[in-house]
Amino acid sequence: MIVAILLLIPFLAATFMVVATPTRQARVVALASTLMTLVFTGWLCFAYQGDPVIAVDSDWVPAWGLRLVMGYDGIGLLMILLTALVFPFIIGAGFGERLQHPSLVNALLLYTQAFLLGVFTAQNALLFYIFYELALLPVFFLLLYWGGERRRGITVRFFMYTLLGGLSLLFGILYCMVQEGGFNGDFSALAALDLPLDTQIWLFWVLFLAFAIKLPIFPFHGWQPDTYSMAPVQGTMVLAAVMLKMGLYGILRLVFPIVPEGAAYWQNTVIILSLIGAIYGGVIAFRQWDLKRLIAYSSLSHVGLLCAGLFAWNGYAVTGSLYQAFAHAIMVVGLLYLTGALRERVGSTEMGAMGGLKARTPRLAALFLLVMVNAIALPFTQGFIGEWLMFAGIWQLNGWMAFGAVTTIVLGAIYMLYAYQRVMLGEDKWQLEMDDATLRDHLVLVPLIAVTFILGVYPAPILNLINGPVQQLITAIPMLP
Amino acid sequence: MVTADLLFSLVPALPLVGAVLIASARRYLSGTVAGMLATALMVGAFVLTAVAFSTFDPSTGGHTVRVFDWIQITGMDIPFAFRYDALALTMMLLVTGVGSLIHLYSIGYMHNDARASTFFAQLNLFSFAMLLLVMGSNLLITFIGWEGVGLCSYLLIGFWYNVPDYNYAARKAFVMNRIGDVGMVLAMVLLFQQFGTLEYSVILEQADGFSANAPILIAATLMLFVGATGKSAQIPLFTWLPDAMAGPTPVSALIHAATMVTAGIYLVVRCSGLFELVPLTQDVILVIGTATALLAASIGLFQNDIKKVLAYSTVSQLGYMFAALGMGAYSAAMFHVIMHAFFKALLFLGAGSVIHALGGEQDIRKMGGLKGSIKITYVTFLIGTCAIAGLPLLSGFFSKDLILAFAYQRSPVVYAVLVFGALLTTFYMFRLLFLVFFGSYRGKAHPHESPLSMTVPLMVLAALSVVGGVINLPHLFGGHEALKHFLATASSGISNETLHLSVTTEWILMGSTVLLVTSTIAYAYGRFARKAELDGEPETMPLFKRLLAERWRIDPLYAALFERPFGWMSTKLHTVGESRIMIPLTNGVGGAALRIGRVVRRVQTGNASFHLLAMVVGIIAFLFITLLST
Repeated sequence: MIVAILLLIPFLAATFMVVATPTRQARVVALASTLMTLVFTGWLCFAYQGDPVIAVDSDWVPAWGLRLVMGYDGIGLLMILLTALVFPFIIGAGFGERLQHPSLVNALLLYTQAFLLGVFTAQNALLFYIFYELALLPVFFLLLYWGGERRRGITVRFFMYTLLGGLSLLFGILYCMVQEGGFNGDFSALAALDLPLDTQIWLFWVLFLAFAIKLPIFPFHGWQPDTYSMAPVQGTMVLAAVMLKMGLYGILRLVFPIVPEGAAYWQNTVIILSLIGAIYGGVIAFRQWDLKRLIAYSSLSHVGLLCAGLFAWNGYAVTGSLYQAFAHAIMVVGLLYLTGALRERVGSTEMGAMGGLKARTPRLAALFLLVMVNAIALPFTQGFIGEWLMFAGIWQLNGWMAFGAVTTIVLGAIYMLYAYQRVMLGEDKWQLEMDDATLRDHLVLVPLIAVTFILGVYPAPILNLINGPVQQLITAIPMLP
Repeated sequence: MVTADLLFSLVPALPLVGAVLIASARRYLSGTVAGMLATALMVGAFVLTAVAFSTFDPSTGGHTVRVFDWIQITGMDIPFAFRYDALALTMMLLVTGVGSLIHLYSIGYMHNDARASTFFAQLNLFSFAMLLLVMGSNLLITFIGWEGVGLCSYLLIGFWYNVPDYNYAARKAFVMNRIGDVGMVLAMVLLFQQFGTLEYSVILEQADGFSANAPILIAATLMLFVGATGKSAQIPLFTWLPDAMAGPTPVSALIHAATMVTAGIYLVVRCSGLFELVPLTQDVILVIGTATALLAASIGLFQNDIKKVLAYSTVSQLGYMFAALGMGAYSAAMFHVIMHAFFKALLFLGAGSVIHALGGEQDIRKMGGLKGSIKITYVTFLIGTCAIAGLPLLSGFFSKDLILAFAYQRSPVVYAVLVFGALLTTFYMFRLLFLVFFGSYRGKAHPHESPLSMTVPLMVLAALSVVGGVINLPHLFGGHEALKHFLATASSGISNETLHLSVTTEWILMGSTVLLVTSTIAYAYGRFARKAELDGEPETMPLFKRLLAERWRIDPLYAALFERPFGWMSTKLHTVGESRIMIPLTNGVGGAALRIGRVVRRVQTGNASFHLLAMVVGIIAFLFITLLST
C-alpha cells in the first residue's frame, strides 16, 4: 500500500496535468505533488525500522509464475529519498525556464519521478526492468521536444545507446529467469542462482552494459556530454541527479547478487576503466567553455569515482559510493540550477559571456561558492564523507587505485575554481544590468546547501540507514577470497 | 562533559559564530562594527583558551574530548573530538592571541574597503578552521581544519576579486595545497588501514610496536610530509606562498606567516612518535627543510616588493623549522613557530602600515627615509628585523640559536648551510629596513602614521618579539626550557630529544653567529643606509644576480612543466579523444539508429501531445493488463 501511494502521487498528478492541461498552475500543481511525495518519503524514513519492507506481494502473471513484489530496504530508501528530495527542486527550476507547454513538461517530469520510484521499489527483476525503461521515455520526449540545437540527432543517439543497453539487460534478466527454473524473477530468487563461472564471465557484461551506459563510465559515455548540454536544464537535472543513480542501484541489485564471481573476475577492469574516466573527465572539464559541458565532464569524473567505489566492494567503499551518490545529486542540481539562473541573466551558458558577475550578483556568487565547495568535497560537506569512505575503501583493495582516485581531488579543484573564476571573478566585462539572486534562487539553493552542510557535519542519519544493508550485502556476496 | 572540557570545546565555536553572523548580516554591518565583533569574538576565544590553559594539568598528558559521533559505520569510528593537551593549547594560544591582534589591526587597515565585513567574516572563518586543525584528536578533524584554512586562504588571497592576477594566485595556492593533500589523504587511508583508527593517541601508542624504518611507516610519514610541504610551502610546493601576497596584508600576517603555514610543522610534531621511528623520512625532511631555507633566503636577497621579501623570508624560516624537525628537535621547531609568529606577524603588519602610509605603494625602491614620518612603525619594524636576524636576547635569537645548536650536533654541513642562510636573512632584512626607513624619501605620497588600532598590535607584537624568548629560556641563560617541558607532556618525540653540547661549545657557537650577523648588518648598512643602492630591472643585472632576482625562474619552469602541458592535455583529450574518437564512434551507433528511425518515423507525427498521449495510453494499458492478470 505505502509503495502504491508513493508511486501514485506523482503518477496521478501527471495524468491530471495531461488531461486538464493547466498552463499557469502547472508548476504549482507539480511542486505540490513533489512536496507531498517528499513529506511521505520523510515519513517512510522516520517509520523505517531497519528491516526490509515488502509492501506489495501479489500474483502478477500467474501463468508464468511472475509475482508483483515491491518494497525497499535501507539502500532502496536512500534512493527513494534522493528522488523525492531532488524533484521539488527540479520542478522549482522550471519556474525560471520559459518552456512551451508547461503542463506537458511537468507531466513528463512527474511521470519520470513515478517510474524512478518504481525502479527503486521493485523487488522483481522484470518489474525493475519495466520501470527502468519506462522512466526513460518521458525524458526522451523532454529532450526531443524541448532540447536545444541538434536535439534530434543527439536524442536519437542517446536513445539508441540506452536501448542497446536495455535490450542487453532484458536478455540477461530473461536468461537468468530461465536458468532459475521457476521464471519468477524476484531479486531473492535470482540471488540464489549459482551460475558457473564461465557463464558469469560473459553474463556480467550482458547485465552490466546497461548500467555502464546509464552511469556512464568510460568508454560508454559517448552520448553523455552532448545530451547533457543540449537538454533543457530540468532534463539534465533528471539525468544527472537521479537517472545516473539508477545505474548504480542496478549494479547493486542485479549485477553483484547474480554474477558475483563474474563481478570479481572483471573487478579490476571495471575499476580501472572507471578511474580512467574519473581522471579523463576531470582533465577535459578544465578547458570546457560551456558550463553545461563542464558539468557533464565533471559528472563523468564523479561517476567514475562512484563506480570504482562500488566495485571495490567493501563496507567503506560501497557506503561511500552510495553516500556520494546522494551528495552528487544535491550538488549537480545546485550547479545546474545556477547554470539556468546564469543563462536567465546573460542569455547563454558559455563562460565567455560571463566574467566579473560577482560585482553585480554578490549573493549569487556566494551561493555558487557554497555549491562548489560540495563539488570539490571540502570537509563538512556531504561530498567529503562520501569521498573519504571511498578512498579508504579503495585503498583496502589497492594502493595505486587509491592514488588514482585521490588525484581527482586536485582535478576537481582545478576545473571548479577555474570555472568559478571565469563566471564570477575578474573585471565586470560586459556591464550587463541584472538582478542579484532572487527569492526563487534562494528558495532553491539555500535548502540544497543546507542539506549539503547538515549531512556533511552530521552524516549519521544516512549512514545508519545504509550501513546495515550494505554490510549484509557485503557479507552475503564475498567477492574476494 | 566537565566544565573545563566544555570551555575548551567552545573555543572554536566563537569565531564560527562570528563568521556566520557577520556573513549573513554583512550588508547591514559597517566594516568597523563587523571588525569589532570579529575581534571581540577572537579575544573571547583567547580568554577561553587562557582559562582552559590555566586549569590544565600538564602532568596528566592530556585527554580526548568527544563532542559527537561524526563518521560511524561498521569498522570505522571517527568521532568529532578534540585533544586537550599541551600541544593543542600552545597552538590555540598562538592562533587566538596573535589572531586577536591581527583582527584588531584589520579594523584600521580595512576601514576604507567596501567589503570589509566580508573580510572579517572570512577571517573569523579562518580562525575557526585553524582552531579545528590544531585541536582535532584525530587526523580527519585536523583535515577539516586543514582544508578549511585552505579555502579561507583561497578566498582571502583573491579578496580583491576583480584583479585577474589575484584570482590566479588564489587558485594556485589552493591547487598546490591540494596536491599536497593527495599525500595527506593517502597517509590517512594507509594509517586507517593499518591501525583501524585515526586517533593520534592510539596510532602513536600502537606504532611503538613497529620496527624502525618499517615500510608501512616510511610510506605513511613520507605522505604526511608531502601534505606538510603543500601547506607549509616547502620545496617543491612553495611557489604559491609568494604569490599569496596578493591578499590584504593582515591576511599575509595571519594566514601566510603566523598560523596556517605552520600547520605542516604542527602535524609533524603531533605525529612525532611516528617520525621518530623512521630515520629515512627524518633525513628527507632535514634535506628539504635545509634546502628550502637556503633557496628561499637566496631569492629574498634582491626582491623589491616589500611583501615578497617577507614572503620568501617566511618560506625560508619555515625551512628552518622543518630542518629542526628533521633533526628530531621538535621543541626547537615549535619554539621557532611561536617566535616566528611574533616577529613575522609584526613585520607583515609593519609592512602593511608602511603600505597604508604610502597609499598602496609596495616597491621599496620608491620608499626611503620613512623613519621620521612613521615613527611607531619604524621602531617596531626595527625590533622585528633585529628579532628575525637573531640579535642577542631577542626572541628569534633563542629559537634560531637552538636550531643551529642542534644542526651543529647533527652535521657540520647542515650547520654551515643554516648559518649561511641566517646571514642571508640578516642581509635581506636589513636591506629592506634600510631602504624603507633610512636615506631620503624617493616616492611622491605623503606618509602618515597609522591609526591606533593598527599601531597597538604593532607595539604588543614588538614587545612579544623582544621578550618572547623567556618561554623557553635555555639553561645557559638561567632558564629551564619551560616550553620544551610543557610540550614534552604531549609529544613523545620531544621527550626523546637531547642536546648534549658542552657549555663552552654553545658559547662559541652563539658568539660566532652573533659576530657574523653583526658584521652582515654593518655591510648592509654601508650599501643601503649610507647610500641607497637600488636595483634596476633584472635584464640589466649580472647573470647570477639576475637569476636570483628572477627567483631561479622556478615559476616559468613549473608553468612549462606542469601548467601548459595540463592545459594542452585538456584541450587535446577533448579535440582528439572526444571529437575524433568518441563522437564518430557514437555516430556510428547513431547512424545505424537513424536507419531504424526511418521506419519508425511513419508512426511519428512530430506532435508532442500525441506522443505523450500515446505514452499515457500505453502505460495505462500496461497497468490494466497487469491488474487483469492478477
